[in-house]
Amino acid sequence: MATDDDDDDDDDDNDDDDDTCLVGLFFTGIFSLDCTLLNVYQRRVIWQNLRLLSRMSNSFPTECLSESKAFELPLEILSDAQPLKRDIKEAFYEMAIQAFNIFIQDTFQSTWEEKHLRQLQIGLDEQLRYLEQCLEEEEEENEDMKEMEEEERKHSRDTVSQLSNLELRRYFNRIDKFLKDKKYSHCAWEIVRAELKRCFYFFYKFTALLSRK
Amino acid sequence: MLALLGVATLMLVAGAPWVLPEAAEGTNLKPPENGEVSIIDDSFTLKWNRSGGYFKNVTFSAEYQTPGMGNWRKLLGCQYVTRTECSFSSLHLRSVYENIKLRIRAEKGNSTSQWHEVPPFVPFKKAQIGPPDVRLKAEDKAIIVNISPPGTKDSTMWAMDQSNFLYSLVIWENSSSLEERTESVYSRDKIYRLSPETTYCLKVRAELRSSRKFGVYSPVSCITTTVEHKLPSPENIEISAENQIYVLKWDYTFENMTDMTFQAQWLHAFLKKIPGDHSDKWKQIPNCENVRTTRCVFPQSVFSKGIYSIRVRAADGNTTSLWSEEKKFNTEMQTVIFPPVIHVKLIGEDSLRVSIGAPEESENKSGYQLYPLIYEVVFRENTSNAERRVLEKRTDFTFPNLKPLTVYCVKARALVESNRWNKSSVFSDTVCEETKPGNTSKAWLIAGICTAVFSIVVVIYVVKALLRCVSYVFFPSSKPPSTIDECFSEKPLRNLLLSTSEEQTERCFIIENTSTVTTIEETDQIGEDYKKYSSQTSRDSGNYSNEDENSGSKISEGLLQEEPV
Repeated sequence: MATDDDDDDDDDDNDDDDDTCLVGLFFTGIFSLDCTLLNVYQRRVIWQNLRLLSRMSNSFPTECLSESKAFELPLEILSDAQPLKRDIKEAFYEMAIQAFNIFIQDTFQSTWEEKHLRQLQIGLDEQLRYLEQCLEEEEEENEDMKEMEEEERKHSRDTVSQLSNLELRRYFNRIDKFLKDKKYSHCAWEIVRAELKRCFYFFYKFTALLSRK
Repeated sequence: MLALLGVATLMLVAGAPWVLPEAAEGTNLKPPENGEVSIIDDSFTLKWNRSGGYFKNVTFSAEYQTPGMGNWRKLLGCQYVTRTECSFSSLHLRSVYENIKLRIRAEKGNSTSQWHEVPPFVPFKKAQIGPPDVRLKAEDKAIIVNISPPGTKDSTMWAMDQSNFLYSLVIWENSSSLEERTESVYSRDKIYRLSPETTYCLKVRAELRSSRKFGVYSPVSCITTTVEHKLPSPENIEISAENQIYVLKWDYTFENMTDMTFQAQWLHAFLKKIPGDHSDKWKQIPNCENVRTTRCVFPQSVFSKGIYSIRVRAADGNTTSLWSEEKKFNTEMQTVIFPPVIHVKLIGEDSLRVSIGAPEESENKSGYQLYPLIYEVVFRENTSNAERRVLEKRTDFTFPNLKPLTVYCVKARALVESNRWNKSSVFSDTVCEETKPGNTSKAWLIAGICTAVFSIVVVIYVVKALLRCVSYVFFPSSKPPSTIDECFSEKPLRNLLLSTSEEQTERCFIIENTSTVTTIEETDQIGEDYKKYSSQTSRDSGNYSNEDENSGSKISEGLLQEEPV
């Protein structure tokens, strides 16, 4: 059962200084995660990344308002009833990986502090890895079923799920082109940052969908 | 007749072109059919079939249209081609995620056929991932792979996927192709656990998992591992957290360890996903440079929250070993879970309510909050060793129906709610609480009733006994003791002696003073007889039992009656 104290999640300093005399316990893997609790983890990590995005800059510079553009976030992809849990995972993964792609480019060193950027990159990577691991697991489970069912379901499933991924890609493609056209200016980055905050918030609201079966 | 002949020949001449096969095309050129597109990386291949057989000097041209473009545009590389296929690249397409329409027609000289339209498609969806380019470098027990993403650097098809590619690598020993190993690698990675001086062959394919695309395998490339390195590399790197430090340990065996020193480095794990060389980004871990033991200790503040790769190597004077296998390390997973704080409260007389709270120190830690916790509660009676273990998700719950006047002790620890991860805190302090003497009213009621009943019975007996005593003393019985009966066998005498209970005085009549008496008695005689009878009767009513008395009185009466005559 997760508690809903999302607003208190994460704080500014990542240093763990005040431990008391307790022995931590060792474990082997990097993510010994339970994929049945994926929605809980995603919820927290997306919120954490949203806060990191907010903290990167003090406030939206007013001179950039004139350049803002409507990117048309495809809200319908998650509000429609998605039949398969895998498709929802894929949508979250697509979002995470495209956001990661945007923030690993080297073209904004002057815009934001390196420290904040690094934290965001780490956070996005974390978000990605959870999903990767769970998608891989699911694929392993489906290996046997694949051959039997793939013939029947291939076409119908592809059209529904891949359509939402396509919509997401078109959205991120628009953002990419915008950055290129504006030559990665400071204002362009600020506008993209604001847009991604909206996107993250939207996905944060829909993390509950990951738990549906 | 001649006119008829002329007309006939004219018709023949006019009709000749129809008959000849070459003239079959004419103005009605048939459009091509079955147009198909296949895409690998950035190159599109358009194929079609001729219709109506093979004809000379026929060429084909194609055009394309995307939404928002308005009119059809010529497709470069597909103009006036003689074969039934042509290729073009996506590099001049605006977007690979847009629907695209293609159409082809046949041409011969000045005449053209109708357009044949290919069903519209989204290039990205149709595209297949081509084979990646693989370069290898061998170490003694590992192979370094350097994989270039499919397509070109400025590829439009995979522009948004440069960091998304995951590579599936199949490796086998050249001599025995049976034992294959498949591994998932990044673009710059290492395959470990190989044997020295062995030839290995491998092939790689790129994958885009989220788009469900699996690429074509690269051609097989082989390489031989080198001779075993003089110094082995450290193995089995382990890292654990303690208080405010991390402890890094590894295994190392070598004949002469006296001058051996070790060095440990770290790197942000996500950098591996970004294509390119990041070998210059490895950083030294403080306190872990030139250490002589197979462990080193450094403060937790070195690593802010995140995922890191760690590697270690050994050095002996001038020679250094190769780097060890990289160990991934997630700071989140190392955070200590603090034991909870328990409060136990007595509810009613036989229930204990347990509330679990988070300890104060954990409020500031962002680490463990990421994972939902469940609690293992151990509940036992103070005197016995029998324990009851309960797993609870709630932080407030009650143990009902406990024994009265017993001390119960509770302790709990927090666990991460996960099937495969056994991370828990240490147990909290034990809190004990005593239950009240239980159910006094009921017990007393029953006891009271029992004692009351018992006491009533006792009292009755006592009272009875007392009464008997009292009655014996103050109200003795009239019955004589049985010994006297033996002495006096005659009844009348007995009667005289013992008939004390009779009221004989009432029956005493005056006999001697007859004159006065007789007159009185005469007058009264009748009355007296009457009286006697009546008195007799009346007396009889009182003394039925005593026959002897009656007979006694009758004798006196008899005497009385004889006189007056």
